[in-house]
Amino acid sequence: MAAENSTKATSAEAGSSSLGKKKPLYEASTQYKNWRYSPERLEDVRTQLNAAAVAVIRNTFEADEPGSSSGVAFLDAGEEQLLVKLYISKIPQLCGHFRFPEEVEATAISYLKRFYLKNTVMDWHPKNVMLTALFLATKTTNNPISLEAYTSNIPKTSPSDVLDLEFLVAQSLGFEFAVWHAHRALWGIWLDLQSLPDLSADLRPQDVYEIALKHVRASRFTDAELIYTPSQIALACLSIASPLICQRWADSKSAVSPSSQPLSEVLEDTLGAIKFMVMQAGQPPDVESVREVDRRLKLCKNPEKVVGSKAYLARIAEDEHRAEQKRNKKANDVRRALAEGDPFGSELTDKEKAERLAELDEDDD
Amino acid sequence: MDAVERANTERQKRWVKDQKVGEGTYAVVYRGREFATGRKVAIKKIKVGQFKDGLDMSAIREVKYLRELHHQNVIELLDVFSSKTNLNLVLEFLDSDLEKIIKDRTLVFLPADIKAWMAMTFRGLEFCHRNFVLHRDLKPNNLLIASDGQLKIADFGLARDFTDPGHKMTCQVITRWYRPPELLFGSRYYSTAVDIWSVGCIFAELMLRTPYLPGETDMDQLKTIFRALGTPTEEDWPGHTKLPDYVPVGQFPRTPLRDLFTAATTDTLNLLSKCLIYEPRKRIGAKEALHHAYFFALPYPSHPSKLPKLSNNTSSRPLDEVDGNVDMNASGPGVKASAPNRLKRKLSSPGDELGGRPLARRLDFTQKRS
Ligand SMILES: Nc1ncnc2c1ncn2[C@@H]1O[C@H](COP(=O)(O)OP(=O)(O)OP(=O)(O)O)[C@@H](O)[C@H]1O
Repeated sequence: MAAENSTKATSAEAGSSSLGKKKPLYEASTQYKNWRYSPERLEDVRTQLNAAAVAVIRNTFEADEPGSSSGVAFLDAGEEQLLVKLYISKIPQLCGHFRFPEEVEATAISYLKRFYLKNTVMDWHPKNVMLTALFLATKTTNNPISLEAYTSNIPKTSPSDVLDLEFLVAQSLGFEFAVWHAHRALWGIWLDLQSLPDLSADLRPQDVYEIALKHVRASRFTDAELIYTPSQIALACLSIASPLICQRWADSKSAVSPSSQPLSEVLEDTLGAIKFMVMQAGQPPDVESVREVDRRLKLCKNPEKVVGSKAYLARIAEDEHRAEQKRNKKANDVRRALAEGDPFGSELTDKEKAERLAELDEDDD
Repeated sequence: MDAVERANTERQKRWVKDQKVGEGTYAVVYRGREFATGRKVAIKKIKVGQFKDGLDMSAIREVKYLRELHHQNVIELLDVFSSKTNLNLVLEFLDSDLEKIIKDRTLVFLPADIKAWMAMTFRGLEFCHRNFVLHRDLKPNNLLIASDGQLKIADFGLARDFTDPGHKMTCQVITRWYRPPELLFGSRYYSTAVDIWSVGCIFAELMLRTPYLPGETDMDQLKTIFRALGTPTEEDWPGHTKLPDYVPVGQFPRTPLRDLFTAATTDTLNLLSKCLIYEPRKRIGAKEALHHAYFFALPYPSHPSKLPKLSNNTSSRPLDEVDGNVDMNASGPGVKASAPNRLKRKLSSPGDELGGRPLARRLDFTQKRS
């Protein structure tokens, strides 16, 4: 967690008018609590996830055919990232095609990033995960479209490509669907600016907002949202567009709640780091380098997750065997209990007994 | 097993399902407990596999909002886990709901009890609104009651956020009897005021012990409202005749609330009338309501633990005493208060599909008399 950031976050967050006067929900949000990392922590998470995945897949290869994993060039964490980034860049394209609102686009991108903090691309290829994240985002932001309409507009995609993964994606997100976005925070700051008396309209031309928004969009290619608060990102992007206006906004906030240090100073390092990140990494990756990664992925992906492969079938059979055993045990338990007469603490009629059995069948946890 | 699956299994192991306690449109509810502590919980199992559009919108909304909202007067979502193709929501266990309590004719409500329920409802709602969440389905059976008497707003299956003021929204929300006139006229740009209207209807119902505005169709709903509160004039509610589905439904005079709520205090009726103002922008807000004189006047709200509870025995205070708030024989306009209302409050049709589904389940208000 970016503990160091949190105090700064508070001061920036409190400023934005879109967030209201009371303690903003943001600080009680699942995003604030569960999806913010320090840069070091973020790196750790990815490295460990990657190492664990490689170990598992290596074992699977070896179990299938001893020695078969030695020649495999597994992806490293950086390469996984690169591939994810490529698929991040597909989301705005699709959203443009479907005319989805910005909320959908930003949310889908957050979902995709969060998914790969819990999963590896070697298990789940980002193409379908991306399509699923986007479909899920249309629903969680209350812009639903039918799955049929969705997949029929995307080449070589069928409803099952999305349905098969939707639950896994939702689960990987911890069912935490609400996402706070920098573009909203930017809008809040922009509204604040309109009410600054000493900032006349010609000093805050609309194109400053547009440019800042462009940088916010660029920031979606980066890890910024996993490290910084939406307001910090918005401010940094505003600062790229117009350092003067950003300064004015910060000054107006300092004037309202004066502290020992002006807000702009408090924020300086943070904004600097975000700006650097946006300028450095705020664009889609080079397609050629990703193609290389994708080619290697075909050789090192987890065979257990490849539908139809030997390892996949083995795993399914194993799962089914376990479920079968469980069902049998349950049914036996019930039968025995029924035979003993008083299974549920009271006498049951035959009809009720039948119902209980039916219920147990349906109760499949 | 992947990390995600493992984490899910860990979660699942924390909870034990005991016994089925109820069934809603899209879920089966079990009583259960936390394995480690024995704490009683409700486990709401939502079938996921059955929808051709994947995860159901109601479930998504419910999870999305309850994951974020934590307040004494909002139902607490303790955990979420999956079992095969089911989504399981672990909720705090709540014994009853306000509808059941209203219908229990053995219970007598004191004005202080009603005040306590209203205060808790407004507190929960103020929290939702402060966090830009519209509930859009407030009614007595969505106000659940904990064993300690605390009231909790539940069922966020129709909720949405409203950060965008100019955003067009569907008007097909809120169970008819609690639906405000702007929605009945098809307004697509509405706000927190829609929930306040519902609270007003619940407030009146607590005093009447029967639904206040039980329309039989959408059209009849407008008539029922206007019969009770008078047909709005252009002055009462500027621009309402320009709303998309506006239809004139007849002229009814405004009768004072006092005629029906004979024994209610002036403060009570003042707050009630402010919840039921036609012009949505003039309707009272949740925060303002909490500062209303009603809540500061005597009698003070009952302590939650002292509130009427569902009783299985019938030997409590007899109903004849009622609460002194209502004249059950008043010829109040449009209010069928004389007998417990027999229209079903919740009419739903399972098997609707997504797209229309979550709305359709609320929209299907075809007459079913029980
Ligand atoms: N938190 C809870 N604690 C105890 N019982 C509950 C809880 N939530 C629901 N129940 C019980 O389960 C039943 C079904 O609840 P659910 O919320 O699924 O549906 P509903 O609101 O009654 O109907 P619908 O889905 O049509 O809105 C309720 O009537 C109630 O008896």
